[in-house]
Amino acid sequence: MSGNEAIARGALEAGIGFCASYPGTPSTEIAMNLFEVAVDQGIHVEWSTNEKVAMEVTAAASWAGVPALCSMKSLGLNVASDFLLNLNLSGSGKGGLVIVVCDDPKGHSSSNEQDSRFYAKAAKIPLLEPSNHQDAKDITKEAFRISRKYEVPVLVRSTTRLSHSRGLVQVGNVSSRTRKTIGLHEKLYNIPSPHIRHRELLEKMERVAEEYEESGFNQVKSTERAKLLVISSGISSLYSQEAIQAFESENISHMNLGTTNPLPRKRIKQLLEESERVLFVEENDPFLEEAIRSLSVELKKAPEFFGKMTGHIPSYGEMNTDVVLDALLKLLGKDRKRIEEQARNFEDLLIERPLTFCAGCTHRNFYWSIRTVKKRLGGKLIVSGDIGCYSLGVFYDEAMDTMHAMGSGIGIGSGLGKLQRFGFDSKVVSVAGDSTFFHACMPGLINARHKNADLTFAILDNATTAMTGYQVHPGSKIQDENLQRVQIEKLVRAIDPDFFAIGDATDIKSMISLLYSTVQKNGLKVLLLNSVCRLEEVKRKPGFIGAIPVIIDQGLCRREKCMICAADFGCPALVWDSNTNYPVVLAHVCVQCGACIAVCPHNAILEGE
Amino acid sequence: MPFWRVSEVREPYSILVAGVGGQGNLVCGRIISEATMKQGLRPIVGDTFGASRRGGSVVTHIRIGTRDWGPLIPRGKANIILGLEPVEALRTALRFAGKDTIAIVSMMPVPPSNVTSGNVRYPDLADIKKALESICQQVYMLDTEPVMKKLGSTRVLNSYMIGAFSALDDMPLDSKYLRQAILDLLESEMDLTAFNEGTQSLL
Repeated sequence: MSGNEAIARGALEAGIGFCASYPGTPSTEIAMNLFEVAVDQGIHVEWSTNEKVAMEVTAAASWAGVPALCSMKSLGLNVASDFLLNLNLSGSGKGGLVIVVCDDPKGHSSSNEQDSRFYAKAAKIPLLEPSNHQDAKDITKEAFRISRKYEVPVLVRSTTRLSHSRGLVQVGNVSSRTRKTIGLHEKLYNIPSPHIRHRELLEKMERVAEEYEESGFNQVKSTERAKLLVISSGISSLYSQEAIQAFESENISHMNLGTTNPLPRKRIKQLLEESERVLFVEENDPFLEEAIRSLSVELKKAPEFFGKMTGHIPSYGEMNTDVVLDALLKLLGKDRKRIEEQARNFEDLLIERPLTFCAGCTHRNFYWSIRTVKKRLGGKLIVSGDIGCYSLGVFYDEAMDTMHAMGSGIGIGSGLGKLQRFGFDSKVVSVAGDSTFFHACMPGLINARHKNADLTFAILDNATTAMTGYQVHPGSKIQDENLQRVQIEKLVRAIDPDFFAIGDATDIKSMISLLYSTVQKNGLKVLLLNSVCRLEEVKRKPGFIGAIPVIIDQGLCRREKCMICAADFGCPALVWDSNTNYPVVLAHVCVQCGACIAVCPHNAILEGE
Repeated sequence: MPFWRVSEVREPYSILVAGVGGQGNLVCGRIISEATMKQGLRPIVGDTFGASRRGGSVVTHIRIGTRDWGPLIPRGKANIILGLEPVEALRTALRFAGKDTIAIVSMMPVPPSNVTSGNVRYPDLADIKKALESICQQVYMLDTEPVMKKLGSTRVLNSYMIGAFSALDDMPLDSKYLRQAILDLLESEMDLTAFNEGTQSLL
């Protein structure tokens, strides 16, 4: 099973009754797996509006005695951290609360490569890092034990390569514990004396540290007369093992830590006393490296430390076996016939494979329209974007100018929309999708209204969380049983923008004129653009395609003199045939949306039969 | 009891499947790992599929051994590259292939959007072959297009490629387990036919 499946399985074996999450790669499959068994196991599983809400609802369950899991991606923990740094003091009650955060080194599917372990340090809560698939299950179960025993939330940290790889896992029984609510603790707040609660938390952590000294999740493989000790955590343990094996004759010891906050200080110090040199291998930041370096001042004689802080391991990007091999080579003073990457010799053969919007995706229609409007305005248009499929706008002729956190598009727009008095003379368009709108756009939009910012807010509403696999959200058209739809239109109208209109993102012509007239109005303008996710459409209705097949009129086509349809619009279904020098519609890719008809300036793309 | 089909095969045995979204990379990984388990060995499968639905490359790393190995193959250490797409095969080979690598590559290109838009030219297959040959121990370029036409769908390309892989001499997995894994996971006659065709493709 995958690391994420193993985490979900561990939660089931620990007897959870409640799970809340917001989808985000590489964490999504944890809650997805629990959704699959929710009915059978009698578990409440939900996609919350955002990660902070997810953490709040799971804390409530845990307080009432129901074991709860809260999973999210790295950036999600930033959203939830405000609550976490209060919850740590109040405690998580009798049920048990485990927060799983999946970091994404190298940002395969993220806009940064943050190390979320520092939240465990900031919140002073226990942190566990699984180092393989078996561990992922077992450590999640252990996290619940710790959380219940000490009534603290426990953070489990995975990374992309563990979450999204698969290995063999020996499973245990799913807990048949009955889950009945109990009365809440008194005083689930930390005022007026948060420092007392802080002291109590620190005392809990001391007891956790004591217990961690004996934890089986910390493994040492020591070699006699070891020249070098490798300390690793997480999936880096497998990379370290593999690299150490390549130097069999070199007497290298290996300590892998599963309990990384608080650290098993005595055990580590004991091992450091016996070591002359230490190499740290961990994903993202030098978290263990800093902690263990600072711990070493208590030693009679400290070993020499190597890792990210000395440049032996790169401080950015992802770990792999090669990184460890290279560091060991350097430390052991060995020459290895390095297999250099041979890319340089064959660069011209390695054509790039850029990401594109799917065939028929209405986000392409939107950016095409934006591009047209921007040209008409002499380039004086700034687009502040957001997180979702439509983030690919940054690759679409750089139609998107900024892209940061969930909800930042409207916040940045709200700022840009107040700069006219300083000479800022571009029109501002902020963009967000529907799931992102609910997640984090409301405060920014209300701010823009309240401050009379001059901007157009375009909501690309395809009524699903498309990027991560069509999870239901409050605005989804199709809701599961017992869920009540919340309509974006009603929310926006309540905020009372100066101008509001609903547009159709499948119709490029009307969208261009709507955008062009709207951006020239004064004040706060909101456009709700009805959009379509073609992948979701096909998922709902297998084999579904639209009703507007297109053909190319070769008499009207200006061929290589124009090429706008294939070269600029960029739909995967409308391609250039370099043999005939005509554009061609690929029938097996085309979803028959008809959007491209509006793109040809010579009317050579026609509706077919 | 773990069983290595060929005794001189060293652990870990590493397979890379290189392709693009929609080609069935992940299914390849599942089939090979299923066969590995049937044989009593331990598979670790690492997938890179972040943006696969949106036209990106997809690479699957498979490590086979008696214990768990890292989910990423080290530089130059792939034993096998199964290339579902020529340029993607070369892209992974440049990093992961070495003098022991055998590459089995489908010659059917899936042109990226910059090629279909007419902005970039897809490289010559002969040049890709030459490049691969300069890096790998052995390269099989398979003319898969007519076979897929005959079979009726490019969707069975992955089963065909696994069939080709199963016909190699020095590889640890028994062909019968791979065949069984295809039956168990895909339950498709067409895939089984593709697998059988694949076993003849290296001759």
